[in-house]
Amino acid sequence: MICASGSIVPRDRSAGNASIWLPGLLRFGSNFRFSIEQAGASLVHNCSLYRVMIRIVLLIVGLLAVLAPTCLLAQDGRPHSVLVLDQSNLRGPFYYQLSSGLREVLDTEGQITVYGENLDLTRFGGAAYEESLKRYLKEKYRDRSIGVIVANGAGTLDHTLRWREELWPGVPVVFAMLEVTQLAKLGRLANVTGVAIKNPLADAIKTARTVVPGLDTIVLVGDSWDRQSLFRHWGEEIPTATSGLMVIDLVGQKMSNILKRVAELPERSAIVYSGVFSDGAGTYYPAATAMRLIAEKANRPIVVGAEPLLAAGAIGGYSLIAKEIGAEAGRLALRILNGEQAGNVPPVTQESKPLFNWKQMQRWNVSESSLPEGSEIRFREPTFLEQYRWESMAVASAILIQAGLIIFLLHERHLRRNAEVESHERMSELAHVNRQATTGELSSSIAHELNQPLGSILTNAETAELILKSDKPDLGEIREILADIKRDDQRAGEVIRRLRGFLKRTPFETRDIDLNEVMGEAFKFLSVQASARNVALYLQTAPGALRIKGDPIQLQQVILNLVVNSMDAMATIPYGRTVIGRTELNGGSSAVISISDSGPGIPADKLAQVFDPFFTTKEKGMGIGLSIARTIILAHKGQIWAENQSGGGAAFHFTLPLVA
Amino acid sequence: MPGCVHVVDDDASFRTAIERRLTLAGYQVATYPSAQQLLDSPPDENELCCILLDVRIPGLSGPELQGRLNALGSTLPIVFLTGHPDTPTTVRTIKAGAEDFLTKPVESEELLGAIERAMARHAAVRGEQHRLEEMRALLAALTARERQVFGLVVRGKLNKQIAHELGTTERTIKAHRHQVMEKMKVQSLAELVTMAERLGLLS
Repeated sequence: MICASGSIVPRDRSAGNASIWLPGLLRFGSNFRFSIEQAGASLVHNCSLYRVMIRIVLLIVGLLAVLAPTCLLAQDGRPHSVLVLDQSNLRGPFYYQLSSGLREVLDTEGQITVYGENLDLTRFGGAAYEESLKRYLKEKYRDRSIGVIVANGAGTLDHTLRWREELWPGVPVVFAMLEVTQLAKLGRLANVTGVAIKNPLADAIKTARTVVPGLDTIVLVGDSWDRQSLFRHWGEEIPTATSGLMVIDLVGQKMSNILKRVAELPERSAIVYSGVFSDGAGTYYPAATAMRLIAEKANRPIVVGAEPLLAAGAIGGYSLIAKEIGAEAGRLALRILNGEQAGNVPPVTQESKPLFNWKQMQRWNVSESSLPEGSEIRFREPTFLEQYRWESMAVASAILIQAGLIIFLLHERHLRRNAEVESHERMSELAHVNRQATTGELSSSIAHELNQPLGSILTNAETAELILKSDKPDLGEIREILADIKRDDQRAGEVIRRLRGFLKRTPFETRDIDLNEVMGEAFKFLSVQASARNVALYLQTAPGALRIKGDPIQLQQVILNLVVNSMDAMATIPYGRTVIGRTELNGGSSAVISISDSGPGIPADKLAQVFDPFFTTKEKGMGIGLSIARTIILAHKGQIWAENQSGGGAAFHFTLPLVA
Repeated sequence: MPGCVHVVDDDASFRTAIERRLTLAGYQVATYPSAQQLLDSPPDENELCCILLDVRIPGLSGPELQGRLNALGSTLPIVFLTGHPDTPTTVRTIKAGAEDFLTKPVESEELLGAIERAMARHAAVRGEQHRLEEMRALLAALTARERQVFGLVVRGKLNKQIAHELGTTERTIKAHRHQVMEKMKVQSLAELVTMAERLGLLS
């Protein structure tokens, strides 16, 4: 009958399940319930035993046949209500997170009624308190059906198990945060499962050794072990876990004393904090609050075993993560609510995880690499790069692209420069060869220019000798002769110097020069050659200096090439050979130099080709003179062209930019 | 046998040096910076002199000046002096009657030798001309009839033939012939013939 009535209790989930195939049966079933009651009534009132017996049997058979599936459904689940008993104040961060983890899991399953009670065992105790608590709970939950009890903390479990028979008989219990060794001590518990935790003191000591190299002292800080819930077992583990270390035991001390002591701890020591819940003078607070007070004063790093303590100023340690424990307990509770037997669900063990506080690591100079494997570092302050990751990447890539571009352009410029330098070198070499050839052609002029002063010197010297041989040498005349010799010698030297300059293989070098001067010098060089070849050479220069930037030797070469070219062109005409050189201003920005002759001119179809390399109309010409002239003028950023004059003869012009 | 040397060179320094040297050697020296200046005031042919001429001078060149002087009938010997000798120029100037062709720098000995030879030739030319002029003067002193007789005698005509040709007597011709011999200051007919030849009367 219980089975049947149990199945009628409206339940969201089973109703959902049943609604697919059971609505008809349920209706039918409820009809039968009424029949049973009526059966009971007729049994009392009619006293017709036989008929009643038959009807009862038929009813039972019918009930069994019809309600069998409903009965199974009832065994499948429990009342969808959970009673959560906490050991400590929910307003402390640890229990708050535990509770919220639990709640989140339960909420995923839809409508589950969650009752909560705080036994407040860290602050209250004693038989009278427990008795009143028991009474209160008994009264409070008399009419409530509880599907499962979740007991948080060792003390809570202890109380729950003691009270279960009386208050909630047969209700399964899910515990949370029972330390594995304590669980083992309790032995096999009926209808109980839960989340055991594993957080040995040895892990805290290991952490202390990690954060303090050469650790020799452990400072234990916390309330007395029997008031602890999470770290109660540490008290027993002290001798084994701390072997080889000095121990300063401040456990159970008053807060004021603790604060004094932690400020003057020795080097190479670390504090292991298990939790202080009161100042010993009537003020109670969550362990994290006490921790914050201690951390403010402590001169050594603090190792902890619970996640909320990390934010309060601990360096870290193997920590219990309350939310995960809560969630795990929630999952177990759900399994039991959904029909599994608590006795068949083995307890789950939740291990503490190495968590560290980045800020404290900086303070105590602990490197990330020294931490145990799998450590999680919290409160990491993002570095500039982490904080402005995209911005930095954008800026960096912009700079990189720019740098790349700059390098590329520099490289291009370098290549271009090299090419320019090489081209200038080639031009200089070719120009040099051309000058040598020109010099060969002009050798008679050069010889004449040299022999002139040499002839004077020889004659003068012989004259002087004769004068000296006479009886009364005229010393005045001797002096004159010597002065003349000296002057002629300098003159010869000057010719040699000019020739050497002209023949020197010099790199292309520009400097400020006067074009009129260059032209004059070249024409002087050419004058003898011109007279030897019966050519009248005229030079008309623009008034004043024509300042340009250029290589004087190469420009002289251009003039020489053009004039020699003109003289060659006129070789066949019998008389009237004339070459006119002219320098003029061409506007304000450039100068134009013209070399015109009275020769036969250039055939109109060849005008464009005369500057091409190896183009020649002469029998012995190489065809490089004019091409070199063009190369040199282009290197001076000028222009060169040839034309035929209206009155006959050819004219070559070139322009050069003036120095501003 | 000093004389006057006319130096034509565009190089002032060289002109000075040469002038100095030649003066020391006893010559009179006249210098000209261009060929044209020499043409403008030509040297006296009768004076003993020669020309020292540069080949390359601006304007009228050395060989060109030589050509002009030859055209003018000058007998002045020319010694060329050049800074850069070339065969065509040398051949051309020598064929045109140049006395010598020297190369700068030139040693005094060589230069003076050339000048001396030029002077000697000028002297010779000048002596020859002098005699010719004397002969022409003698010739000019003859009367017309004597000139006719002279022309026929040197052509080997006998007195009788001459008399017949001129329509006179043999005796008259004989007298004229004697007169011609006397006036021309010769002793024999052979001398007279030579003289006639030099005066160009036989061509």
